[in-house]
Amino acid sequence: MEAKRPLLLRLVEDYWGVLLLLIAWELWVIANRFNPIVMPTPTAVLNDLVSYPQVYLRNVGITLLVAVFGLVVGMLVGTGLAVAAWFSPIAAGLLNPLTVLFSSVPVVALIPVIARLLGYDTSTVLAIVVIITFFPSFVFASSGLRSPPPGAEDLFRVLGASRLAVLARLALPSAMPNLAIAFKLAAAHAILAAMVAEFLMGTTGLGYLFAKTKSDFQTEQAFGASLVATVISAAAFLAAGWVEKKVRERYA
Amino acid sequence: MRAVRKTMKGAIAIEKVSKRFPLAGNKEGVLALSELSLSIAPGEFVAILGPSGCGKSTLLRLVASLEQPTAGRVTVNGAAPNLVSGQHALGVAFQDHALLPWLTVHDNIALPFRIAGRRVDESAIARLIELVGLGAFGNARPRQLSGGMRQRASIARALVLEPEVLLLDEPFGALDAVTRRQMNVELQRIWSARQITTLLITHSVDEALFLADRVVVMSGRPGRILREVAVPFARPRDPSVMRSEKFHYLVDDLTQALEA
Amino acid sequence: MKQTFLGALGIAIFLAAWEVIGRTRLLGISWPPLSDVLEMLGDPGRLPLFERALGATLQSTALGYLWGTAAGLVLAAVAHLAPPLRRGSDRLAAVLNSVPSIALGPIFLVVLTRESTPAAVSSIHVFFIVFVSVSSGLQRATPAHRDLFSVLGADRLRRFWRLELPAAVPSLVSGLRLAWPAALIGAIIGEWFGAPRGIGILIINAMQNFQIVLLWCAVLLAVGTSLFFYGLLTLLERAAYSKFG
Repeated sequence: MEAKRPLLLRLVEDYWGVLLLLIAWELWVIANRFNPIVMPTPTAVLNDLVSYPQVYLRNVGITLLVAVFGLVVGMLVGTGLAVAAWFSPIAAGLLNPLTVLFSSVPVVALIPVIARLLGYDTSTVLAIVVIITFFPSFVFASSGLRSPPPGAEDLFRVLGASRLAVLARLALPSAMPNLAIAFKLAAAHAILAAMVAEFLMGTTGLGYLFAKTKSDFQTEQAFGASLVATVISAAAFLAAGWVEKKVRERYA
Repeated sequence: MRAVRKTMKGAIAIEKVSKRFPLAGNKEGVLALSELSLSIAPGEFVAILGPSGCGKSTLLRLVASLEQPTAGRVTVNGAAPNLVSGQHALGVAFQDHALLPWLTVHDNIALPFRIAGRRVDESAIARLIELVGLGAFGNARPRQLSGGMRQRASIARALVLEPEVLLLDEPFGALDAVTRRQMNVELQRIWSARQITTLLITHSVDEALFLADRVVVMSGRPGRILREVAVPFARPRDPSVMRSEKFHYLVDDLTQALEA
Repeated sequence: MKQTFLGALGIAIFLAAWEVIGRTRLLGISWPPLSDVLEMLGDPGRLPLFERALGATLQSTALGYLWGTAAGLVLAAVAHLAPPLRRGSDRLAAVLNSVPSIALGPIFLVVLTRESTPAAVSSIHVFFIVFVSVSSGLQRATPAHRDLFSVLGADRLRRFWRLELPAAVPSLVSGLRLAWPAALIGAIIGEWFGAPRGIGILIINAMQNFQIVLLWCAVLLAVGTSLFFYGLLTLLERAAYSKFG
């Protein structure tokens, strides 16, 4: 009985900005008498969501699957290369400037190029997610591997630890907090990147749904797709933030 | 009566050792140690006293195989230090306790076993946890412990593989004076149970006199041995020995030697 | 010394591989040799096209920076000066950041013009990063400094103006640097919704007309610009840290 009130209050306290925005949007559309094709109200969008759940679910499933898979692969590749660079200073010297170079490539510019190489389908979407996840993982893993607790490196040396032991028992655990940060950044971007790629290529998923419904003047559904993507992305960011907190408690 | 560990292992020989560090912009670099010779007998506890920057930590790092001498030779039991560390026979405790924050106290102490690829000896760990006075804290994380407790864990870890040589680099430097004194008494008690060859670096005269069999005073840059003083107090040492006149006299004597 | 050599070697290997893959058509016609791309880039006949596209995109990005930085600064300052608004501001910024950029396009098309949409999308990206950076930067002033200002009798506004804001400058500049790739991407995406010209338009046109080499030219232009300004911003960041840090 008592617990209910604080929750509502807390929600308003947290989301007043978002609520304000939604209310302003609703009022603005009504005041301007926009044709729903041009700009629907939030209530109209929600209505569409509720009326046609199967359309959304089908596409969300695809985008989500690709995003998650790409996220995992991207983080593994990024961390793997960071470990390789850690083992071999030569590899590090070779890789570091290359990754700086690649990280400043606007990923969206690569979509058409990769589409030509891999085909205008889900494999390109996957590749894009992997690329966008790979760089933060590599950068954060690299710096994390090199920040062990003070004195620990000397300790391991005196204890006669093999390089592998140092990696497994010291460097990798030390890198966990940084990897959690990379995960948080990547989680937010993975689904959005997937959507942009799908939008450009018109295959399946939320991005495709958005493109198709927009060109078909089903603007409520287009916005619905965006809303779903926004909610998932924000939720992923918050969930990843919670994971980061837990990792920090365990490893730092 | 506790059995004294009979061992002939753990002799440290430092023969005319010099160590030069390169310095940016300075062709000659800085000479940290200059033709220093010191020999430590098995089972002996030697404390090295000296002002900051006199090279005493460098000396310990040479024995720990963390650095190589520019000239001269360092051996432990006649072998090069990196061979000895490769055999996991060196125990070390730094001023940075260097406990791994993601492991419990128990797992931190077990770490040397895992690194050496040996089976973890649970009873040895349990005995050491009791010995250092951390009995109830085996499952605690380092962040939950006070500074003194972390150092106890660090020392337990240094002893767990029953090393031939124990190297302590200002292990209590980060503690407050009261805790430090308590830790000195504790270390004396712990050491008496094993009597391993020990090299202690410190800049506390009290600490050196209370713990060591022999105190070596080093001079400033470049590091040289100024004096060696044999500590006359019988073991095991009671904290009350620190109130004796002989102790005060030696403290004054050594303090003067340090300030020279 | 060795590091720079290895770095240069790494890049050289990559460029050489690019050329070889292109010449041998290892990955099909979709990967032309580097020399072909560079040739088209240097073609004087095409220069006006590239200049106009680059100019338009850079202009949008610059505008996006202006709006985004202003908005990010204001919201961060508000959240800082009025702690009850803190969580709500954080959530709002996070949600805005989670809106897919392609969804922003149509929205801004209605609110603004076709020409300003790229700048608007870019500004949202810049806004979020500046907001996060300045928010944490405003808390950089140490307790010792804050106590000093307290004892000297400074009121809230003065403390904000003379202590917390200057202390936040390095974080702000860091944020500006970090925001660059996202700002550029935002501008490019915004262009897809009907802007008259820009690198994003160049890319889409080349893609739809199967002009491979032109496509790669556009990508290279984007990369080159990105690197150049990223370098500039890095230098700016260093200067800011040495003066304010």
